[in-house]
Amino acid sequence: MNQSESNSILENLASIFAKTSNDYDTLKIYVENDEWVQTATKLKEEHGFVFFSWLSAVDWENEVSVGDPPKEHVDPSFEILCCLSDVSDGNFAILSTKIEKTNPTITSLIEVFPGSNWHEREAYEMFGISFVGHPNLTKLYLPDGFEGNPLLKSYELLTREVKPWPGEVDVEPMPESDISSESEKEK
Amino acid sequence: MTTTIDPENLPFVSETSVSVEIETEGMILNIGPQHPSTHGVLRLVAKVDGEKISNVEPVLGYMHRGYEKLAEVRTYPQITTLVNRIDWVSGFCNEIPFIAATEKLMEVEVPERAKYIRLMLTEMARIASHFVFNGAYPLEIGALTPLFYAMEDRERVLDLIESVTGGRFHPNFNRIGGVKPAAGAGPATKKDIQDLPAGFYKETRDAMETILLACDKFEDLVGGNEVFVARTKGVGVLPPEVATAYGVSGPILRASGIKFDLRTTTDYLPYKDFDYDIPIGENGDCFDRWFVRLQEIRESAKIVLQAIDSIPSGPLQAKVPKIIKVPAGECYVRAENPKGEMGYHLISEGGLGPYRLKIRTASFSNISVLPWILEGVLIPDLLAIMGSFDFVLGDVDR
Repeated sequence: MNQSESNSILENLASIFAKTSNDYDTLKIYVENDEWVQTATKLKEEHGFVFFSWLSAVDWENEVSVGDPPKEHVDPSFEILCCLSDVSDGNFAILSTKIEKTNPTITSLIEVFPGSNWHEREAYEMFGISFVGHPNLTKLYLPDGFEGNPLLKSYELLTREVKPWPGEVDVEPMPESDISSESEKEK
Repeated sequence: MTTTIDPENLPFVSETSVSVEIETEGMILNIGPQHPSTHGVLRLVAKVDGEKISNVEPVLGYMHRGYEKLAEVRTYPQITTLVNRIDWVSGFCNEIPFIAATEKLMEVEVPERAKYIRLMLTEMARIASHFVFNGAYPLEIGALTPLFYAMEDRERVLDLIESVTGGRFHPNFNRIGGVKPAAGAGPATKKDIQDLPAGFYKETRDAMETILLACDKFEDLVGGNEVFVARTKGVGVLPPEVATAYGVSGPILRASGIKFDLRTTTDYLPYKDFDYDIPIGENGDCFDRWFVRLQEIRESAKIVLQAIDSIPSGPLQAKVPKIIKVPAGECYVRAENPKGEMGYHLISEGGLGPYRLKIRTASFSNISVLPWILEGVLIPDLLAIMGSFDFVLGDVDR
C-alpha cells in the first residue's frame, strides 16, 4: 500500500466521525464517553480495525508535582486513549474520550476486545479509573497494600522530593563552555 | 505358537488399577516467579485437574520499574537510556521508536546514512534476539545442543553491535537527529568525524553469510528432530481472530497467518529500499512460531547484506539544539521489534521532558493471551507454549 492510498483511507475515516485530528501522522478520534464502546465496536466491525494495540490514560492537571505543567490552562480530567489498528494495511486510529476526575468511571471494552483486560487493570491501578463491566478489576503490577495511583500528576516521586527537578547534574554546562568561561576569566 | 492375552483374565493386575475412571481432585499449582522456563520473574497460578490445566492466572509486577513515571521526570536524551532496558535481549530496537517519535515532533530530518546505520543495527538486534529464542526454545523442550550453536552465532552479531556502539546489550547509541559517533573509529574532532569502525563491512558480510548457513543448520537440527516436531506441531494453536483481539503481534501473529509487519507499513526506517520476504505460518501452532522466527533471521541477514552494499555516505547527525526541547504536540510512533509491535505515545508540552509517555510493549500484549491459550492443555505443553511466545519480563512489566 502506498502513502496516498493510506492517507485517503484515514481521510475517509476522519470525515465519518464528528471530531478528529490528524497531526504528526496520528489519527485521533474524539468521542463522548457514553459512545466509547459503541465507537470501538463500529471501528472493529465496519472499518476493519480488528487489532487491539493498547489502552491507557492521561492525567490532565495544571498543578503537577513532577515535570512540566501544561502550557495552557486545562480542565482537570482524565483522557482515556485506546489505539486500534488495521492488520491489512497497518493504519491505526486512537480513540480518545474525557472523563471527569470526580467520577472516573467508563465502560470496559472487554466485550469487544478481550485484550483490553490487562490494559484496563493497569489504568485502574495507575490512575484510579474504574471500568464498569470488568470481571476482575484488581491491581496488575503494584503489590497488595500499595497506596496511591502512581501515574497521577499529583503523585510525587520520592527521589525528586529529595532532589528537586531538574537536579544539579541535569543543568551542568557542557565541557567546552566550561573551558571557554575559564579562559575568559584568565584574560 | 502365539499367546494371546485376555485382558479380562490377567493374573498380575488387580481389578482397581485398570480402572481408567480415576477420581482426581482439582488443585492449584504455583509456577514461578523463579522458574527456569518463565524467562524471568513471571508467576503463573494454574488450576490443574490431574495433568490438565483448567485455568491459568499470570501474576505480573515482579519486574515493574515504572518507566512511564520515570520518563516524566527525565529529559529526552536521558529517556533513551531507560528504554534500552525494556526488552534487554534487543536493547537497540527499543530506542528506535522513541527517538523517531521525538524527531517527528521536533520535525528533524535524519541523515540517510544515520537511518541506514539504525536499520542495520536494528536487524542485527533482531537476529540476536531470535537466536536466543532458537537456543532457549529447544532447551525448554529438552534439546540442549541447539543452545550452544545459537549462542555462538549470536555472539558474532553482538560483537558487531559492540564494535559500533560500544555496548553489547544496552547500546544507547541513538541520538535525537541521528546516531552517536561510532566507538573505536578514530578521533572525534569535527574535521575527522567518527564513523563505522574499520573493517566493519567485511566482518558484517562474513558474519551474515555464516548466519545464513547457521539457519540451514538449525532447520535440520531442530526442525528435523522428531521429538521437537511431536512436541510442537498442533500444540497451542492460536487462531488469527483471537490473536488480533488480544493485540498479539510480531512473529506470533504472523505464525497465525496474518501478514502484518510494521516494517512495510510505516516509515520509521527506510525498509522500502530493501527486498525481503515476510514469512508467515499456516497453522498458528508452536512449530510455526519457531519456524517463522527462523525464517526472519534469514530475511534480516539479507537486509543487512543489502544495506552494507547500498549505505549512502554523509553526515551522522542532523543539526539539533544543544538543549533538546520538544515542541508541544502528540504522536504515536510504532516499530516492528523482534517481539512484536513496540510503540511510544508521546505527549509533549514543550518542556525538557515529556508530559506523558505511554510505552506499548509487545510481550505485555502477547502474554495477555496466555489464559486463553492455556485453558485445557497439559502441563508439559504449558512449557512448550510459553516458550514459543518468546517473551522477556522487562518487556512485560516495563
